[in-house]
Parts: sequence; structure tokens; C-alpha cells
Amino acid sequence: MKHRLLLIICMVAAMLPAMAQVQFGTSQYAVRMNIGYNHNTTYGSYAGFDFGAFMPINQHFEMQADLRFTTARNHSIGVQLRPKFAVPVGEFYIEGRLLSNIYRMDGFNDLTQALAVGYRMEYVSFQVGMSTRLIMETPYDWHANSNIIVEPFNICYRLEVFVRPQTSPWNISLCASNMTDYQIERVWQPIFMANGLYNIDEHWQVNLSALCKPTGMFHLTAKYYGAEVRAGFAYNF
Amino acid sequence: MKRNISYLLALTLLCACNPDTWNLDVIGMISGTSAGIDQRAEESFAYNDAHGYPVINAASEEYKVYICTDTHVDRSRTNWEQFIRDYHADIDCPLAIHLGDLINAQNHWDYMRRPCDSIPANPLKQDTLLVVAGNHDLYFNQWSEYVRLWKRSTYYAIVRTPTGKQDLYIFIDTGEGFLGQKQTEWLTNTLNWADGQGFRHIAVCTHTHLFKRDSSQGHTSNMPLEETYALLHLLKQHNVEMFWCGHDHSREITNLGTMTAVIIDALFDREPHPAYLIANYGDEPVSFRFVELTPLVD
Repeated sequence: MKHRLLLIICMVAAMLPAMAQVQFGTSQYAVRMNIGYNHNTTYGSYAGFDFGAFMPINQHFEMQADLRFTTARNHSIGVQLRPKFAVPVGEFYIEGRLLSNIYRMDGFNDLTQALAVGYRMEYVSFQVGMSTRLIMETPYDWHANSNIIVEPFNICYRLEVFVRPQTSPWNISLCASNMTDYQIERVWQPIFMANGLYNIDEHWQVNLSALCKPTGMFHLTAKYYGAEVRAGFAYNF
Repeated sequence: MKRNISYLLALTLLCACNPDTWNLDVIGMISGTSAGIDQRAEESFAYNDAHGYPVINAASEEYKVYICTDTHVDRSRTNWEQFIRDYHADIDCPLAIHLGDLINAQNHWDYMRRPCDSIPANPLKQDTLLVVAGNHDLYFNQWSEYVRLWKRSTYYAIVRTPTGKQDLYIFIDTGEGFLGQKQTEWLTNTLNWADGQGFRHIAVCTHTHLFKRDSSQGHTSNMPLEETYALLHLLKQHNVEMFWCGHDHSREITNLGTMTAVIIDALFDREPHPAYLIANYGDEPVSFRFVELTPLVD
């Protein structure tokens, strides 16, 4: 076991010089803003407005912050921290996420923590990890002993396939995941997404994404549950 | 590569297969072939309108309710028969409930139903069995078969004690992981109505569980988060005391303020730890215990 650990450390160390070989996405500070139309069978139709900031701290570490408000009074705030290591082919990264959803209409908040490992190549990006969720009833009653429910074990995953290399000025991708920027669903609740982007110039980028969320695809009766269409722009500094 | 893709396709198709009949329900993997929840709710409401809701008379102020789930009857039904014999034998039990997944797959409906008629009732008392549909009762377009035998999946029942105290049991269909617009409206209206009736206890009985708190549930999906919170909010707003459910095959008790959500073990013959639950209803908060049956598998 000790030898295996040493071997893994040596392999990672050997990869470090290659880190700068492949860089994906932006390496600049960026902000983005989107408006979206959402529909699900629980809330009906509602609008969403979100913005986020992407912060590459240095070559090996990046951060992302996301904030969303919706007219269904379901609001989200999230932070992602991402150490990354270039490997001979592609890039390996670790992602830590903290995500809070406030369901004001329903009187519940949840706080989700996730730790995942990811690997991205030119055309494919893959991520898998674990998450834990705390569900809290609001307003919080400090005298009650059963206001918080913990869902300690959940697998999170994301597989995204791009039609062009990820560094291209325009791209389209298809994605299956139980994670979005604003939600980490339970493991058997996949969300299917299609994303597109186009770089107008070196600073401005337009984004368009669509999402479909069925229920019951695994171990329940599968049916359409919800969808979202988002459009917006990003500015790279 | 071609071979790997072939294996993957074969595995995917097997997921849509009934192993007893080797029928495929490929479309059902993407969109269930049974009627959707709104249509199922409409059919249940039509039956409710025509036949009313069950009112059950308990022989005393305190009584027991026998609750089981996930019998998944296919080639054998030993535990299911045991459950029927047990609730018939208990003189204090006026109501038995099955929380769905009555059968495992197609062609077992009559075999599953038969013991309800063939096992003799207790001549010393009257009891009623009420059921709700689970996901296995909907696969392979089986809603029509479910309705033929069990008539409805969205309804309520009232148990009335000799002094006129009443307990409400609301049955909702969550086989798709959400309630749908019509059933949500009905549930909201029913709970609003219940607020003014002075019910002693209110329980919601359904198949799909609300939470995912332990790793035993790795193999079962439940509701989307939005639906979970919206349903919870509705139940809490109207002081629902008990949320009886199954689907996960493994017991779990969750307290959230004044509400308790209980996942009951499966009664499947091939389950390593089959069990059902006996709930005690009286003037005190509802209490319950699990009854473990002898496993039929090693």
C-alpha cells in the first residue's frame, strides 16, 4: 500500500512539468450573465436570472462563483474551487463545491458540498465525485432537534462531449450530468444539457444552453419533469 | 470498440426487459408507457366521484394498521400471504395498507390478487385492504391492469372510532417521482378541507420515499429536489403527522419537526430482510413497530 502511494505521488510529480501543455477554456478573468425560461411540473413556468464570475488565481488554481434568482423564489449561490494539473493528454482537476439553494416559497434551504475529480480533453470532459446535502426547514427553530436532514452520500457525475476542440472560438456540447451550476441532484436524477458558445471577439462571448430534466429514468416511471433555456453573454477581461 | 458498444446496447436493452416474459419496453426507459400522472389522477377522481371514499369503522378508540410495501409478487407470494393472514388474525386491525410495487412485472396481477379473496376473513371483525400504485405497477403499460383490480391510486380513507374520532389516510400516486398538476391540486384541496374537520391523525401513504439518507438507497431514485421540498412544505403546512412510504426496500425513519417519514422494508419473497409495519393509532401520537418475517432466501 505504501509503495503504491509513493508510485502515485511519483507519477503525479512526473506530470507536473507538462502542466502548461494544454489549457482549456478561458485563462482570463471573466464574468457572465444569463436570463432563462424555466418550466417544471412543480412550479410551472418561471424566469431565472443568473450571473457568475470565473477567476483563474494562477496556472494551477481557479475559482468560480455563481448566483441565481428566479421568479419561483428558488435562489442559489455557489462557489467552486478547482486545482488543476495538466497531464500529457488533457487536464486533470479536482473540484470542490459549496452550493446553497434557498426555496423561499417552500420554506426550505439546502446546503450541498461536493468533491469531485475531473478530466478534460479536447472533445470530452468527465467528472465524478461525492456530495453531501443538508436540508434545513426555515425559519430555523433552534429549540427543535429535528430541523435538519442530512443526505450524506450522493454520487455526482458529469460527461460532456464537444463537437469542436474546447479552445475553439465557437462550440456546441452535449452533456449528461446530475449537476448544474445551481443544483446537485440525487444520483439517479440525470439532467441532459446542450450548450453552445460563440466568441464575438477577444472579450465578448455569447452563450445559449438548454436543459431537460426527466424523472424516474432509473427505478421509477420515466416522464418529462422540467426544462430550461438560457441565453446570455460573458465578458473576458 | 464495436464489441464494447454492442455490450453497452445489450445491457441497456436488458434494463428495459421483463425477465419473466422477455418483453421489452424500450420506450418506457425514456417515457413510461402507462398513462401519465394527470390521466391516472383523473381516472382515480372519476372512481372517487362515482363510488365515494372508504369510511372504515374501528371497533375501539385504539386500533392497529398493518402496512406493507414492495411485495413484488412474481413466481411466489409467501410473504404477501403471511401479511394477509396476520392482519386478518389481529382483532384490533380494521385497516391494512399496501404502499405499491404489488407485482414485479407483467402477468402476475391475478396471482397477486387471489389471496385477498381466497384467504378467509376473520368472522369476528371487518377489515379493509387499501393500496396505492408503485413504479413496478406502471411499467409495461400496466396501469390498465392495476385499475381493473384496484380501481384507483389517488384517494383518501377515513377510520372512525366508536366515539366519532376520525383519522385520515391520504393515498397519492408517486410512481413517476412527482405528483403532477391535478394530483397536487387535489392534495392541496383535500388537506385544506381536512384542516377544518378535526382529524385526530393525518397520514399520507405513497410509494416513493422523500429522502435519501443512507447508502442502502443507492439503488432507488426518488423525487426531484423541487418536488421534494414543495411536497414537504404542503404536508408540514397542514400538520400531516405520518408519511408512510416504501420503494427503497430498507427501513428508514426521519423526523422533521412534528412529521415522521417512515420507509418500510420490502415484503418481497427474495428480500433478505422482509418486514412489514404495525402502526398503533389512538389519542397519543402514532407509534409503530416492524414485524420481521423469516427470510426465504439465504
